[in-house]
Amino acid sequence: MDAIGLNYVLAIGAVLFVCGVICMTTKRNGIGVLMGVELVLNGANLNFVAFARYSSMGLDGHVISLFVIVLAAAEAAVALAIALNFYNNHLTIDVDRGDELRG
Amino acid sequence: MDSILGLSLIIFTPTIGALLIALLVNSKAIEALRVGTVVITAITFVFTLMLWSNFDANETGIQPVVDGVNGVSAEWIGSWNIHYRLGYDGISLPLVVLTSFISMLAAMASWSINKLHKGYFILFLLLETGMLGVFLALDFFLFYVFWEVMLLPMYFLIGVWGGPRREYAAIKFFLYTLAGSVLMLIAMLMFYFGGGNEFNILRLTQIGQGNVPGLQFDEFTQITAFILLFIGFAIKVPCFPFHTWLPDAHVEAPTPISMILAGVLLKMGGYGILRIAFPICPVGAQYAAYTLVAIGVISIIYGGFAALAQTDFKRMVAYSSVSHMGYVILGMGVWKITAENGIMVTSGRDYWLMGMSGAMFQMIAHGVSSAGMFFMVGVIYDRVHHRDLNQFGGLFGLMPLYSGLAAGIFFAGLGLPGLCGFIGEVLVVLSTWNFSPVLAIVAASGVIITAGYILWTLQRVYLGAEYKGPHAEEITPMNAREATIAITLLVMAVVLGVYPNLMFDVMNGSMAEVVDGMDAGLRAAQQSGVAITAVPAP
Amino acid sequence: MESLGSELSNYLLLAWLLPLFGFCIEVLGGRWGRNRQDKRAAYLAIACIGASFLLSSFTFFRWGTENHWQVFAASDDSGHHSVALLAADGHEENHGEHKHEKDDSHGKHTDSGNHDAVHGGEHGDSSHDVAAHHGPGPSYSGTFYTLATFGALNLSIDYYIDSLTILMFCMVTLIATCIHIFAVGYMSDELTDEYVDHNAHTSDGHHVHRPGRFHRFFSFLSLFCFSMLGIVLAGNIFQVFVFWELVGISSFLLIGFYTERKSANVAANKAFIVNRVGDFGFIIGLMILWTYCGTFSFGDTEIGGQEQPGLFSMIRGADGEIVTSSDGDEVILKTSGHDGHWSAPENGQPNKTLPYFLLVIAGMGVFGGCIGKSAQFPLQTWLPDAMEGPTPVSALVHSATMVAAGVYLAARFYPVFTTEVLLTIAYVGCITAFVAATIAVVATDIKRVLAYSTMSQLGYMMLAIGLGGWAAGLFHLVTHAFFKSLMFLCSGSVIHGCHHEQEMPKMGGLRHKMPITAYTMLVGVIAISGLAIPGTSIAFSGFHSKDAIVATALAYTKLNPVHFLLFLTPLVTAGITAFYMFRLWFYTFTGKPRDQHVYDHCHESPAVMFAPLLVLSLFAAGCALGGENGPLYQMIGHSEPLGVAAGVEHSGVANIALPSHHAIHEVHSTAGVVALLAAALGTLTAFFLYCRPVVNPEMIKRQFSGVHGFLVEKWQFDNLYDAAFVRPAHIVGRWCAGFDKNILDGILHTAARTAVWIGTVDRKFDEKIVDGLVNVVGNVTRSVGMSLTVFQTGKMRQYVMFIAVSVVALFALLFAFMPKA
Repeated sequence: MDAIGLNYVLAIGAVLFVCGVICMTTKRNGIGVLMGVELVLNGANLNFVAFARYSSMGLDGHVISLFVIVLAAAEAAVALAIALNFYNNHLTIDVDRGDELRG
Repeated sequence: MDSILGLSLIIFTPTIGALLIALLVNSKAIEALRVGTVVITAITFVFTLMLWSNFDANETGIQPVVDGVNGVSAEWIGSWNIHYRLGYDGISLPLVVLTSFISMLAAMASWSINKLHKGYFILFLLLETGMLGVFLALDFFLFYVFWEVMLLPMYFLIGVWGGPRREYAAIKFFLYTLAGSVLMLIAMLMFYFGGGNEFNILRLTQIGQGNVPGLQFDEFTQITAFILLFIGFAIKVPCFPFHTWLPDAHVEAPTPISMILAGVLLKMGGYGILRIAFPICPVGAQYAAYTLVAIGVISIIYGGFAALAQTDFKRMVAYSSVSHMGYVILGMGVWKITAENGIMVTSGRDYWLMGMSGAMFQMIAHGVSSAGMFFMVGVIYDRVHHRDLNQFGGLFGLMPLYSGLAAGIFFAGLGLPGLCGFIGEVLVVLSTWNFSPVLAIVAASGVIITAGYILWTLQRVYLGAEYKGPHAEEITPMNAREATIAITLLVMAVVLGVYPNLMFDVMNGSMAEVVDGMDAGLRAAQQSGVAITAVPAP
Repeated sequence: MESLGSELSNYLLLAWLLPLFGFCIEVLGGRWGRNRQDKRAAYLAIACIGASFLLSSFTFFRWGTENHWQVFAASDDSGHHSVALLAADGHEENHGEHKHEKDDSHGKHTDSGNHDAVHGGEHGDSSHDVAAHHGPGPSYSGTFYTLATFGALNLSIDYYIDSLTILMFCMVTLIATCIHIFAVGYMSDELTDEYVDHNAHTSDGHHVHRPGRFHRFFSFLSLFCFSMLGIVLAGNIFQVFVFWELVGISSFLLIGFYTERKSANVAANKAFIVNRVGDFGFIIGLMILWTYCGTFSFGDTEIGGQEQPGLFSMIRGADGEIVTSSDGDEVILKTSGHDGHWSAPENGQPNKTLPYFLLVIAGMGVFGGCIGKSAQFPLQTWLPDAMEGPTPVSALVHSATMVAAGVYLAARFYPVFTTEVLLTIAYVGCITAFVAATIAVVATDIKRVLAYSTMSQLGYMMLAIGLGGWAAGLFHLVTHAFFKSLMFLCSGSVIHGCHHEQEMPKMGGLRHKMPITAYTMLVGVIAISGLAIPGTSIAFSGFHSKDAIVATALAYTKLNPVHFLLFLTPLVTAGITAFYMFRLWFYTFTGKPRDQHVYDHCHESPAVMFAPLLVLSLFAAGCALGGENGPLYQMIGHSEPLGVAAGVEHSGVANIALPSHHAIHEVHSTAGVVALLAAALGTLTAFFLYCRPVVNPEMIKRQFSGVHGFLVEKWQFDNLYDAAFVRPAHIVGRWCAGFDKNILDGILHTAARTAVWIGTVDRKFDEKIVDGLVNVVGNVTRSVGMSLTVFQTGKMRQYVMFIAVSVVALFALLFAFMPKA
């Protein structure tokens, strides 16, 4: 167990986070973007849990990561609803087609 | 009537009437509007007559006297010590009655208004409220408010219902009067801050006359305030050289508005001097006495000559107003003082009293005669639609009743004995010699010029073989309504001319109080160190 | 005595107000329905003025009875006493009674409405010489009605009744009644719905047609009678002024009765305005007296139970002398005393004074009013033009009564006049008498001749008063009133008979057609010419009165030789008067008809017109019966002011002495002969020029065409006044109007334009500078924002990209710049 220290875990979190960001920037499919968001969130969760495990902050990190999971679930529901509506309006879920908010 | 409610009722009856008209009468029901206005003004007139019958000639101060206090009041803007303070005395009462009387007749003369009837009558009634308020207000601030209230309806009445150059005339009238108001406002603030935060005219009078221990307007305040007030009121009177708004306003205003303008509005200037400028600033009044008399005399002569040169009938009458109102200023100013036991005191108090009473009487008389003259001009204008004196003639044969009544009213303006104009003029002129023989002689020469321009006008309009102008076919005899107005005015002119005590009985006590109070004020000022020198009056 | 005073005043009040009543009814009643043929207005007017006459006569009767007719008990003058002396003597005992009665009733009259104060006849002290006994008879004064009171100053309608008042009342009402009756005939043309005025033309050259105005004429006449009687009854000078103006306006209305005629309108205006010029002086006089004396009353009055001296008492006091301060500059008013005995306060006591020169100015001023009203030089120009009025008006207003009011006032106010003023009056009268007479010589309009003659005769009266011949002047006033109204009515009858032809050159020989008119006229002509049967005093009225004036003038010239013109001029004028009056009569009534058309249509007037002629000719012939011993002169003398009889020693700046009655009487017979000679000369000249022509008058006219033209142009006065006053007044008027329009309004408009200009500049400043700054800020913000929109592509993936890159960049910065721990 000792072999696996904090740095390894943080490295995995960072990999997850970067994968998520890359997924968000490269995927044109709305669902893919959502998946990227999940990756980013989970990367962050991993960090919380890791810091809770290897430092003396007690349960705070666990609790926050639980909150993040719940929020991620809610966010996924809302985001899927948006995606559905987006599809209804554009007959596709290509996010590049939705640029109504441009200045 | 002798309560704050009663006095307010007099002031605001026309306003209530205006509201009723605004809410209840259809703007197409012209006849209802006309009759309604006449009824409202008549009710107001009856109220003022009730006030007259309540008048106690033995009380020389302000009435009503409630618990030993002159006038009635209620707090209005407490933090500025502004009160809603009303009252009347022998000076304001005749003017109040004159106002409601002339307003009633002017309402009857309003049949010739031919557009926007509803607005006209509403403004007309608001105007009456303003005028009555000015004469009944005893708080300087309230006075000022009513003064301005009266201004706006007048502006619109001239500017909307007037003749071809109505906008010019209305703006000229408005700006002139407003300039006067501003000067009055400055004087008001001088009094307010110099007299212990006070707007009460009675209290200010006491301060001005040195009856309040420890509080007195100094010489500078009195003289400056007097000059400001005098210019403000002189614009309204109007006297030379502030008179040029008058001919334009009169020429452009519709007939009933001319009647009110000449009959009532001009009197506010004289009233303001008598009520505010004189009693509060005796030192200033004495300081300016010679100027006042000179201005009065110049107005008499100048107005007469200018009237002689006019070819517009209404303009001629307007200039005759300038001439006649000159007597008012002249009569007030004849305050001669001489040294007695080391201080300057009034000399020939009775002559001054006579001059003041004459001036006051002249205001009433001019109110009747000039309103009549303007009405007479209006009657013929309604028929032939022009006012060129050189294009009349022969009306005597075409409209005998009208011509007879007009001759009577013009003779009243001419100062014929037995008619109202004579009493005021002769009293003023007779009292002038005591003050200044030279000016008295010049003033007396006014009788020649007056006779000249009035008779020449009568000749050009009424006499002669035939009518020379356009619309000859439209000349019809006066109708019953017009005849009623003219006869009423002529009867008033005769009554005042034959029985002037009708007015003097009411005004003598108050007038004596003003005169004696100012004399006392002058003495008090000298005791407190003001040096008074008599102007050498040739 | 009070009872008599108030009794008389009540009668006269009624007599005075009756015409006013008539006027009101006529004005309000109009023409009594639709019918213009109705004469009821005339009947009412006649009833009113007739009743006034009866009341006046009754007053006269009452007054005479109370005085036991002593006034007429004149005897031939024994020795040097003037004829009125006996009357005065007789009056003296009478006066004792008066005073007695006054004392008795003193308590009860004080609170009555009419305060009577009796004064006059203050000659109880026998210290004066005999002549001073010739004091005035009693006068009654009191108040009818108070107009206004200011402290001690009091304006009221008073009465002042003495024999002169009563005499004037009787004279005015009698003549007025006659003229009213005459006018019913004369004005009968007006009783129609379609009156054709041949003297007024419309622009297309037709005569003016209008409804008749019969009723209006009589209402104006009534108004005039009321006003005239008001002057006569007046108890103070202010009241005189009031009615002065009212007769002025009645005269205006009557002159301008034919309103359609331009000439009538102009004449009416001229009459009123010229009179106003005189009134200007009148007002100055009033102002001075009012300021220094504090009263206008002639007689003494009572104010608040306290006796106040009237003007006459203040200035003349009980002895008729003006008291001056030691340097003569101040007149000390006589305010101390009681019961009508007023004198100057003792030295040291407070006294009221009046600068002497102001008293002179006051006198001149009031006389200025008289000049205007009596058409004296230099305000005489209105009277001839006033003949535009109907002839009855000329007879009543412009010859017999109103114009005489000036003389009446001068006489009434005599106590206030100083010798300087009297000298002015004399010269003014003298000049007028001569100037008017000369113009009358060349006038051809029958009424104008009479008008000039009126002016001339009024000049005589003024002259007499100025010379100290107080009673002589008034004597002439009364006689003149009768014969001049008679002549005017005769001329009216001629004009009526000749269908409104007034030019004498178109008449001639009319005595055959209208004998009554012709011979009653002759009575008047003889009366005015002053002809008499030499050596007797059998003569018509004019002789006696003119005789009295010439005698006064002669006596005056004896005392003041410098002023010899004051005797010569009236004498010459007497001759001219006789000449032009007979010229008029010969021209009109004798010889051959000069215009056959006029002659053929001419007819004698109806009875309603010639009856008044007969009555008046009776008075014209006989009213002065007995000359200066006759009742008329005696009655006038009864009112003579104190000190007139005794004359005045040389005094004043002008250094004038006035003759005493005694001195006048001494030269009386001489004067009578000279005056008669002058009159006879004038008459003969006229006879040989116009009746039995020895020389053709036309030839004389051609010979002296320059003089003739000058006289026809009335000495150029009209043109002179037009150039000197009327036109300048209009020019000044235009200046004033122009000053208003160009200077005052110019200043105003300049101010307004300046304000507008400042407003424009202000607007520019606002728009360009203030708004500019604000806009710059806004624009910059906006453009910056616009440029940033490039980044907002709306592409979600780019945003994520930006975030990622930014975070990386931030970290890079953080690591680069974070201070090393």
